[in-house]
Amino acid sequence: MTEPTRCDGYREGLAEVATGAASGPDRARTLAHLAGCEDCRRELDALARVADEVLLVAPQHQPPAGFESAVLDRIRVEDGSRNPRRAKRKAPAGRRHRVLRPLAAVAAALVIAVAAAGTVWTATAQDRETADRYERTLAVADGRYFTAAPVLDGGVQVGHVFLYQGEPSWVFAVLGEAAPGTYDLVVSTGEWTATVGSCEVAETSCGTGATVAADIGDITEVRLVGSDGTVLTAALPGW
Amino acid sequence: MEVSDEALLAGVAGGDADAMAAFVRRHQARVFGMALSVVGVPAVAEEVAQEAFVRAWRHAGNYDPRRARASTWLLTITRNVAIDVLRVRRELATEPVAMAELLMAPSNDGDRVDDADDVTAALRELPKDQAVAVVLSVHFGLTAREIGERQHVPLGTAKTRIRTGLTRLRGILEVRHD
Repeated sequence: MTEPTRCDGYREGLAEVATGAASGPDRARTLAHLAGCEDCRRELDALARVADEVLLVAPQHQPPAGFESAVLDRIRVEDGSRNPRRAKRKAPAGRRHRVLRPLAAVAAALVIAVAAAGTVWTATAQDRETADRYERTLAVADGRYFTAAPVLDGGVQVGHVFLYQGEPSWVFAVLGEAAPGTYDLVVSTGEWTATVGSCEVAETSCGTGATVAADIGDITEVRLVGSDGTVLTAALPGW
Repeated sequence: MEVSDEALLAGVAGGDADAMAAFVRRHQARVFGMALSVVGVPAVAEEVAQEAFVRAWRHAGNYDPRRARASTWLLTITRNVAIDVLRVRRELATEPVAMAELLMAPSNDGDRVDDADDVTAALRELPKDQAVAVVLSVHFGLTAREIGERQHVPLGTAKTRIRTGLTRLRGILEVRHD
């Protein structure tokens, strides 16, 4: 480590990110540090490879007869049932990644700016440069892509939502300009709606997040619901 | 000559059903075993294992052989599906500490694939509390707070066990691979 004092506070977080068990906020905090620390990125890469090896200790068990054909049947059904809307959304992976790449850079800069200054992000060349480093970090951290959306209150931006596609995927929200109070982070897909976190806006901004059992492309709505009934909605990109 | 996992996944990404069938046949025992070790109920493990292969098929185009072996990539997917199921179906509550100890036990050696020998031996070289903490984190996706609760130690101690255990494992494996 070239900067041991700066990195010391992140080493335990690195281990949990490597094992895939870090909570959303811990993961975001660690990834924000990784954006500017090449040594820790290498460390994470090495630890993640060790964690991968640990998965191998599970003993083998033959599944019940018919397992293979059941899997192939499910794939055939899913493949055949894709309607035009879903087919459009589930573009081939390579194409989807390219489409989202600029968004990833923007989102990365947002996270770093919010973490560093606690303010709403404004675009600068330096931030974009940092974002490029962050994008490389995502690759190390087993992330596939990353996007962001503004949180709006009556058309006025009061925060951001970050959506990270990885193993696992997660959603993280930061509120900076919202009215004081406690807000639940509510995530919806076409199949389920769940409250995945909450945070309290007092004199400072707040952030909350969680892993989600869904591809972020399947998330249809992210809302922050205040204890007084206020609903703040993220303007998600139209994938 | 046997087709490599990477070549099979390239075929899967291109929509080759035969490649997918071969991939399932090759890895189904390992995937089902992983699922069973996490959820503990064969019928649920079968659902988890099926879903893991469906996700592998769906995301095969994202697989990068430079970053992970196909087997660990697939097991990571399986682990994530299994943990997602446990979060929703709390009646499946397993005893992960006991299961973590069992996973490393010599009694299971005959059921492991050969490429697990090094890491299994390395885990046994660690202090037991560290080895269990690492397996709970990697295999069961437990956070440090959850591990601390199960091992009856403060959060800081749990974090240290995970980090120290993982770092020591890295050292042991590097020596073995040299």
